[in-house]
Amino acid sequence: MFVNKRRMSRREFLRLGGAGLASAGLFLGSAGCSGGEGTGENEIGWQAIPSYSPQAPDKKRVDYLNQSISGWEESYGEFTIDSLISSSDVTVAMARLLKQANEDRTPDVAQIDSYVFPRFYEYVYPLDGYLEDAGVTDDYFPFIESLMIGDGGAIKGLQFTTDVRVLYYRKDLVSEPPASWEEVLEVGRDLKNEGLAPYLFPAGRDEATVTTSLWPYFWAQDGELVDTAGNPVFGEEENREKMLNCLEFIRECVGSDITPTRITTYLQETDLNADINAGEVGMFLGGNWQVGILKEVTGEEQFTSTWGVAPIPSMEGGDTHATTAGGWIWGIFAGDGAKQRAAVDFLLYTFVGDRGMAGWCNAGGYLPPRQGVFDLSEYQGNEYTETFREHLDKYARNRPASEAYQNISTAMQVAVASVVTDDASPEQALETAVSSVSLQRRD
Amino acid sequence: MAMSKTAGKKTWSEAVRDSPVPWLLPLAAVLGVTFLFPVFEIARLSFTDASLVGEDYFYTLESYLDLFRSPYFANMLQATAVFVFASVFLQMLMGFLIALLVDQGAKRGMKTSIVTRTAVLSAWAIPGVIIGIIWSILYEQSAAGILNYALSFVGFGEVPFLSDPQVALASVTLANVWRGTAFSMILLYAGLQTLPDDVMEAAKVDGANAWQRLTRVMLPLLAPMLFINLVIVSIETFNTFDMVLALTGGGPGRSTEIAALSVYNQIFEQFNLGQGAATAVLLVAVNLIMTFVYIRFLERNERVE
Repeated sequence: MFVNKRRMSRREFLRLGGAGLASAGLFLGSAGCSGGEGTGENEIGWQAIPSYSPQAPDKKRVDYLNQSISGWEESYGEFTIDSLISSSDVTVAMARLLKQANEDRTPDVAQIDSYVFPRFYEYVYPLDGYLEDAGVTDDYFPFIESLMIGDGGAIKGLQFTTDVRVLYYRKDLVSEPPASWEEVLEVGRDLKNEGLAPYLFPAGRDEATVTTSLWPYFWAQDGELVDTAGNPVFGEEENREKMLNCLEFIRECVGSDITPTRITTYLQETDLNADINAGEVGMFLGGNWQVGILKEVTGEEQFTSTWGVAPIPSMEGGDTHATTAGGWIWGIFAGDGAKQRAAVDFLLYTFVGDRGMAGWCNAGGYLPPRQGVFDLSEYQGNEYTETFREHLDKYARNRPASEAYQNISTAMQVAVASVVTDDASPEQALETAVSSVSLQRRD
Repeated sequence: MAMSKTAGKKTWSEAVRDSPVPWLLPLAAVLGVTFLFPVFEIARLSFTDASLVGEDYFYTLESYLDLFRSPYFANMLQATAVFVFASVFLQMLMGFLIALLVDQGAKRGMKTSIVTRTAVLSAWAIPGVIIGIIWSILYEQSAAGILNYALSFVGFGEVPFLSDPQVALASVTLANVWRGTAFSMILLYAGLQTLPDDVMEAAKVDGANAWQRLTRVMLPLLAPMLFINLVIVSIETFNTFDMVLALTGGGPGRSTEIAALSVYNQIFEQFNLGQGAATAVLLVAVNLIMTFVYIRFLERNERVE
């Protein structure tokens, strides 16, 4: 074999280096220009968060998605699915998607956190024309339906999962679950005598602190976080009084020793699972998704015989409850009509139609946002599903889609923790939160 | 004279060929794109009211004014100061003590000194997020908490490692000390190897006891290394955020929200790009001052030598 042993001159080396750099620059530049959609003419760019994608850590979900995608591609014929993954940090993922939408670089279809969805109304395409014969739009829970429909009355997105927060209580120790705050304190004192942590809820620096441990109390008093224009009003007039009531109650729970200060280390509802599994908890505020996990950890029989589910207690008790619902919506950003039609067909097949919604909710352990799906034989709920359904129907609310929400949420997470750790009185904590939000508001 | 004439006759291409500039250009280009441009962008954005999710923004000083007026600003400064001062002091102290022990062990032919060095260094090699998770398991306050369980055997009640604002800051600092001690140890161990044996021997012969040899001979000789260690560890600690994010997320409340974590939270949790950038500029300013002091010290040291 001939080997050229001629040494490269310095000039040649520099030329080569320069050419290499220029090529790299061009390559990176072109890669940057073509970023965003990244799909071909017959491909649908479908973006989901990792746990909702074929890269999810749960085999059941992956199997369902892979089978459904290949099944749809085979039956539809014209398009294939290009699976794209967003950040697992939901807040970051939504911020990026909103930025992409601003810059017209969105994928064809993207998964959107339901409460943020109204901020995407101006970017997503209406879907009414593709849903006429599908028969899926008339049985959504009313609060979800109003979210999916934009200002002009058109269907802007398709919600395919939902969730709800509830009170879990030990059936063997609590004969009647507390409905009011007064009853929580009363039952809590009894449970304390049993040597348990009577009443736990998340109070760390995360969204669960407000969605599970604060907003339900506040909304049950008809409090409003923002006005109709999206301006923060949670610290004004009557709302201020209602918010102070909530913070006072939280302080009372800690002060009367029915809630330990370690709740400030619980960032998410599932962070309570270790305590629950250790058999040390009497009551806790949590999400419907904890049932599956806790059944696995404690044993199905053990869990269902021990734990009951009730509405999150409210100030007045009775039937004046509220809770936070969440879930995910698919939004379609593709401008091409054929692609839109195909994308809707894929979403109906895999997530939104009767078979698809039941299949995906079974695989992931989610609650269906369409009431009719609860009654399908394909949908496998659990012992608590009917109660969750009732709570979704009677008490559930979405978080406001206001731009100010993120600041309100962070400020009130800090306020709750300050009250729990006795770093501030409820008044001081609320004042600080209001002042922080007003400073960060963009006019 | 003859040399300067020769140099004067060089063609442009020869001058370029003999110059170091072409060799430095690729590095300068990479630094410009990956370092200078982002720093410039952060500085520019700090004078705007930009949001992470919006397109429009205006140039304003409000980001800085809002930052200073924020009810959390004083708390962030205080938490950062305590975290950095305590971390740096303890990391250097522990690093020096371990380096001294390993050095003395090696001098006495102890075979385990390599094992000790490797074990200490492994803490430095673990990513911050993993360290945060490891320490959150250790600090767990429920029955599953390892440290609380161990402390219960010696008569302690439940320690609120991460739920009491003051204790949480101390707990985060301790985890950071555990992580950073290895770096100080390695640097100071290298410094100890360079100490001249004859000087130490002379001090011993002159009747200096161990304490006097440590404080009057060893520490003055190690001063340059200690100073470099101080500056590097300080900058590193100012920029720490991954471990704290995993351990407390800045809580309870904002009690462990140090400056670098505050930048992250403001930008990615609250989408306040302008104010987050303003905080980042403050952080960069602190780091620049530290670097300036470091360079000046090295220059002075070189002049003395």
